[in-house]
Amino acid sequence: MLSPFRRVAGIVGIAVVATLGITACSAGSSDSASSGGKSVVVDSSFDLKTADPNREYETTGSIVAKALYETLLTFEGDDVTKPIDGLASYEMNADNTVLTLTMADGHVFSDGTPVTVDDAVFSLQRVQGIKGNPSFLLDGVTVEKTSDTTLTLTSAEPNPALPYILPNPALSVVNKKVVEENGGTATDADGAESYLNGASAGSGPYMLESFDVASQVVFTKNPEYTGDAPAYDRVVLRNVQGPTQKLNIQAGESQVALDLNPDQVAELDGSDVTVLSSPSRYMIFLLLNQDPSVSAITSNPDFLKAVKAGIDYDKIVDLAGEGSVQPGGFIPSLFVGAIDASDGNQYDAAAAKSALAASGYAGEDVTLNFPNDITVQGLSLQSVAESVQAQLKEVGINIVLAPAPVATELDAYRDGKETVGLWYWGPDFPDPSNYLAFTPGELVGLRAGWAAGADQTVTDLATAAKAAVSTNERQSAYAALQEAQNASGPFVPLLQPAQNVVTSTSITGVSLNPVWTIDLAGIK
Amino acid sequence: MSQTTAPASRPQPDVLAVAARRRLRFPAALRNPLAVTGTAIIVVWLLLALLAPMISPAGPLAQDFERLQPPSAAHWFGTDQLGRDVLARVLDGARVSIILPLLLVVSSLLVGTIAGSVAGYFGKVADEVIMRIADLVFAFPTIILAMVIAASLGPSLTNAVIAMLIVSWPAYARVTRSLVVVASRSEYVVAGRLLGNSPFVSLGKDILPNIIAPVVVLATLDVGTAILLLAGLSFLGLGAVPPTPDWGAMVSDGVQNFSSWWISVFPGLAILTVVLAFNFLGDALRDTLDPRTADAVKGRAL
Repeated sequence: MLSPFRRVAGIVGIAVVATLGITACSAGSSDSASSGGKSVVVDSSFDLKTADPNREYETTGSIVAKALYETLLTFEGDDVTKPIDGLASYEMNADNTVLTLTMADGHVFSDGTPVTVDDAVFSLQRVQGIKGNPSFLLDGVTVEKTSDTTLTLTSAEPNPALPYILPNPALSVVNKKVVEENGGTATDADGAESYLNGASAGSGPYMLESFDVASQVVFTKNPEYTGDAPAYDRVVLRNVQGPTQKLNIQAGESQVALDLNPDQVAELDGSDVTVLSSPSRYMIFLLLNQDPSVSAITSNPDFLKAVKAGIDYDKIVDLAGEGSVQPGGFIPSLFVGAIDASDGNQYDAAAAKSALAASGYAGEDVTLNFPNDITVQGLSLQSVAESVQAQLKEVGINIVLAPAPVATELDAYRDGKETVGLWYWGPDFPDPSNYLAFTPGELVGLRAGWAAGADQTVTDLATAAKAAVSTNERQSAYAALQEAQNASGPFVPLLQPAQNVVTSTSITGVSLNPVWTIDLAGIK
Repeated sequence: MSQTTAPASRPQPDVLAVAARRRLRFPAALRNPLAVTGTAIIVVWLLLALLAPMISPAGPLAQDFERLQPPSAAHWFGTDQLGRDVLARVLDGARVSIILPLLLVVSSLLVGTIAGSVAGYFGKVADEVIMRIADLVFAFPTIILAMVIAASLGPSLTNAVIAMLIVSWPAYARVTRSLVVVASRSEYVVAGRLLGNSPFVSLGKDILPNIIAPVVVLATLDVGTAILLLAGLSFLGLGAVPPTPDWGAMVSDGVQNFSSWWISVFPGLAILTVVLAFNFLGDALRDTLDPRTADAVKGRAL
């Protein structure tokens, strides 16, 4: 009887001692973290696939690539309206077809060798050649070395978006010699991915210490980095889901949490943590099918007007919480060409009712399709759909919700079969030309049954916007395009949900950006 | 082992006592403490479901209130992510989450009993065909099969009920068949047939009254499972279409808003109480109707 009891007591004793020891250790490490010299823990919900910068195109992948590598051009802070010099400076020719990049001196890779024009050309050609997820960024672009310091990117069509595309971490410059030694080529026979998942070959502020796609990525300071040295020697990026991130940041186990939704943020005590809320790059919109064979109701222009005036946009923004905004048009507020919410659609119940009366709508059910298993920045599309349904009910429009898993609903959306759809658009690069898809006969336009030639005014404005060269010209051309779309087009931009970053009070600054979410080297 | 020997070792009860027990059979079941609790909870929930529009503090779809309010005097169960009153939704949800499973159990009872009776009474080809179809359904895990059917039909309450009906009738068919096979060999059934009764008269008059009790017990026990199955389908987005209030769908909403515990706790408690109540009642009925345990039940009666 006694001996098993003793054994149990012994085990309990050991467990207690071990727990105390572990607690002491972890307390020690978090102390050193908060004192600002050593390491910082960042919690993120992973969608990581690879640490090979030329293959990644995921949110977490961009965070990793941004920390390990540098790009030819980059953005300053969160301002994505103006590309600035990175590893190179740029010059665009008058008709936006040839981009000349001149390599800057003094950048070195983590193995001490200088970054040369050959590395840049190899990296960009590798992105194209391996035909990975980000390859489309350089579709139709020819990369050529023109001298020992310059390279040109030539497009057949005018491509004013190219300087805005180049800062994408997928277009990072890798060390050609190291990558080639490890099986890297600029074709789809490339075999360097597994090497790059174990070690980095870049000139960024950090080097890869360890990499596990499912649990965590550890970065150490790159001693050869030529820019401003990062404040922390070591960064641990961990895969943690939203609710646990909240607990971790409150307990001091992590210093930065990237994936808290607005409601979780609202529950945090402001004295323990710092909350940074800003509009995200995602734009949630309604589409009303303009194809009469899909729906005679939604293709009626008066019905379209009634829906646009019948939605209480402020209520939807409230639903999405602090930091979210209503975009004026389909271009999010962060980008060149964005228009103010006050110039966009406005809620006007009386106008909605009179437009509805003019449309001859007699209370028929209108189906609203949406994917019910995805969230945008922690906001479920179902909440938005239910809110829209209740608001339109008040002006007399009967919406029937038809939720489906995204895997099944996506086909109906892509084939343009949805009567009314609720979707979101994440830009591939921060340039308004990415949103020309929302015009007649283009990708998203066709999904709304908006065939080429269906709306000549909008098509003409889109052509003008595409041809505009200077930033000011583009700004006004895209603004005019969106105002025309708001007046007669099938898209109703509803919301840009917030991007929330929560940091412990020991962190004095983080550098956020819509393209790469967070620059780990910018954590201070 | 003990069950088979127990009746033999018991002293033979006298005829009067048996008659008295017969008369008291149903009341005895109701006087069992668990059965009383179960029945009371069920009656309360059915009343709430019927009276929901009258006693509800707000419309179940009205998004009139501040979002994500914790329980308070104004909103006893708090408000959800769209500013709807959770109490109103739980009450209204009872109409979907209790009534539909009840209807479902009745329908699968009917379908299963008829199929099982036909299989058991006529045997041969009818038996083989019906029972092999039942085996086919049994070969899949219930919830997975129901999910597949509901997903292929598209999400709606009607489709969820059809899916559940397809997966739940074979249990009744199988029990009924085995009871009918045994009963149809009884002398009184054979005698009835010799007197010229048609097969259907024989089934209805001679066999049905002798097999119905176990099937009803099975059905009562099954209500709880049906409620859980429907809530499960709705939780997965394959049952109730938003914004219809349904307890399973509400729990799912609560998962989206993890720290607002009241959104999912109250519908969750509602599911718990109803399922528990039906299980209490089903257990009590089974104990009473099973002659082997009837005595023990009588001993516990209030």
